[in-house]
Amino acid sequence: MTDEVVRLENISKIYPLLSGDVLALNNISLSIKTGEFVAIIGPSGSGKSTLLNQLGCLDVPTSGDLKIGGKSITQMSDSELTHLRLIMIGFIFQKFNLLPLLSAYENVEYPYTLKYRKRDTSGRVTKLLDMVGINEDLAKHKPSELSGGQQQRVAIARSLVNNPKILLCDEPTGNLDSKTGVLVMNMLKKLNSKGKTLIIVTHDPGIAAQADRTITIRDGELVADVVNNQ
Amino acid sequence: MKDIIFAMAVRNVKINILRSILAAIGITIGIISIASMGMLGTNMTASVTDSLSSMADKLSVSPYSGKGGGGGPPGMSGDSDNLTKKQFKDIEKIAGKYGYVYGVHNVRAKVKKGSDEWSTQVYGLETDAMRTILDNLTAGGYPSTDNSVLIGPTFASDNDMEVGSRFSVGGSGVKVSGIIESRGMTMDLNTDSAIVMTKDMYESLFGAKDEYNQANIVLEDINDADAVTTALESQMNRREETIRVQDSSRMVSMISSSVTTITSFASLIASISLLVAAVSIFNIMMMSVTERIREIGVLRSIGTQKKEILRMFVYEATLIGIIGATLGMILSIIMGYFFILIMVGSTKYFFTYDSLIHLPYAMVVGLIICIFSGLYPAWRGAQMDPIEALRAE
Repeated sequence: MTDEVVRLENISKIYPLLSGDVLALNNISLSIKTGEFVAIIGPSGSGKSTLLNQLGCLDVPTSGDLKIGGKSITQMSDSELTHLRLIMIGFIFQKFNLLPLLSAYENVEYPYTLKYRKRDTSGRVTKLLDMVGINEDLAKHKPSELSGGQQQRVAIARSLVNNPKILLCDEPTGNLDSKTGVLVMNMLKKLNSKGKTLIIVTHDPGIAAQADRTITIRDGELVADVVNNQ
Repeated sequence: MKDIIFAMAVRNVKINILRSILAAIGITIGIISIASMGMLGTNMTASVTDSLSSMADKLSVSPYSGKGGGGGPPGMSGDSDNLTKKQFKDIEKIAGKYGYVYGVHNVRAKVKKGSDEWSTQVYGLETDAMRTILDNLTAGGYPSTDNSVLIGPTFASDNDMEVGSRFSVGGSGVKVSGIIESRGMTMDLNTDSAIVMTKDMYESLFGAKDEYNQANIVLEDINDADAVTTALESQMNRREETIRVQDSSRMVSMISSSVTTITSFASLIASISLLVAAVSIFNIMMMSVTERIREIGVLRSIGTQKKEILRMFVYEATLIGIIGATLGMILSIIMGYFFILIMVGSTKYFFTYDSLIHLPYAMVVGLIICIFSGLYPAWRGAQMDPIEALRAE
């Protein structure tokens, strides 16, 4: 039996505003197993990003329980949530979100130094960069000196450096041309085939079709959870 | 670099080098102001103390007139009361074992040269005291005849006089036998603009035989000042106040203390410039945090703790502080040196511990202010909600 890596039990998220409370997520329950490839789709404002923020431990639900790697995060402190993000979750953003002050190599190495409190001497960073097709020369460049595709590949390498169980991707091909988008998706699918749990938030039905499972969110509610036939 | 958080702070300072330097200049100016004022105070105090220390070993005893004390050396007040012969002998007896005791006659008398007439200070001293106290003459020799006198250098230059010049004092004609070397402001005899004559000549012109206006004591050991004062006052003022003792070392320390107070106040004023610098650093750090909101969001989302974000911005403020403080220290040495040369007229005490200690002191104050100014912006950056921060453009 495959392990359960994410479990949501009746979670709701309410944002209190002066004009009245906004129910962003309404009583959502779902479970994601290790090694699954899940696509989360839905129209703008449906609550996809809010769900992704909960899954990424960037926010905690107002009610219900959310377990990541078997641990409930709802009562965790900010410091514990941050540590969980560091060791369990790899983020891949639409806008790449590399640190502009650091070189490509240092961007990948950064989470490693946070986790191990030392620079990488094992060659892991170089190996990961090599795996995503960034050579030693390109690795010395700052993000602003790289193309969008190269930046996203560096971001993928960064997300993998601490060997997380979950890869959370927010529109990972949204800022790439179609050819580079295909390359990036192939790379992510390859990682999934090696056992990484892949959760992608997307508007692109083509990407959602490649997933094992598609979850549809509308008005903060889970309206469909479909296993795709490949 | 080993610490990536520190490396990022360094790089951000480098990327915004002009802005960082401008902020650092504020600290530099503050440090220069504080260090220079501090050094000026120390140098001024040392210089004043040094100038006055030559008179710090002197005590003056004058008859108690009941008019209360006052500033200035005894005998300059024009007080008509004199010490009696017995009082002087008692003073000699009590203070003689601590140093040299001599009596001083003094009066302001009319001086006439040709058609010019003015009044000046006239001192009458024993020949022995004259040779001991006024031991340096720039020209001529000590009075050898009944009508020869010594004159001060200012008196000589102001009135075009030299050795051999003749004029009248108190209606009696005198001849200049010698010119005393400048002694500046002293607590015992202010001879620069005065006439000094023998005791006998003074008493024949102005009377007051064996009744001095004051007795001066030149101590062998400056530390005996309190003991001598106490001994004189306890023995001679036992029944009633008969004498007044002025301890010049007290006046020296009072003057030094006044100089220190003035320069401390000036340093306090100068430290306002550091407050201005603090506002500038605060502003720069707030800008730095605001410009990097998205970066903070990324850092937080990939596992950076709040305290590490705080550390990064505090490092940045510290680096600006170090740049400013180092620059401030170098410029303080250069500018302080010339500032003191102009203001004090001597850099004799510039490279002393008491003077140079103001440099690290000002540096530390500048650095602490820099760090404190960066703390709130750093805290704000650290407290940012990562979701909100990631949304920032």
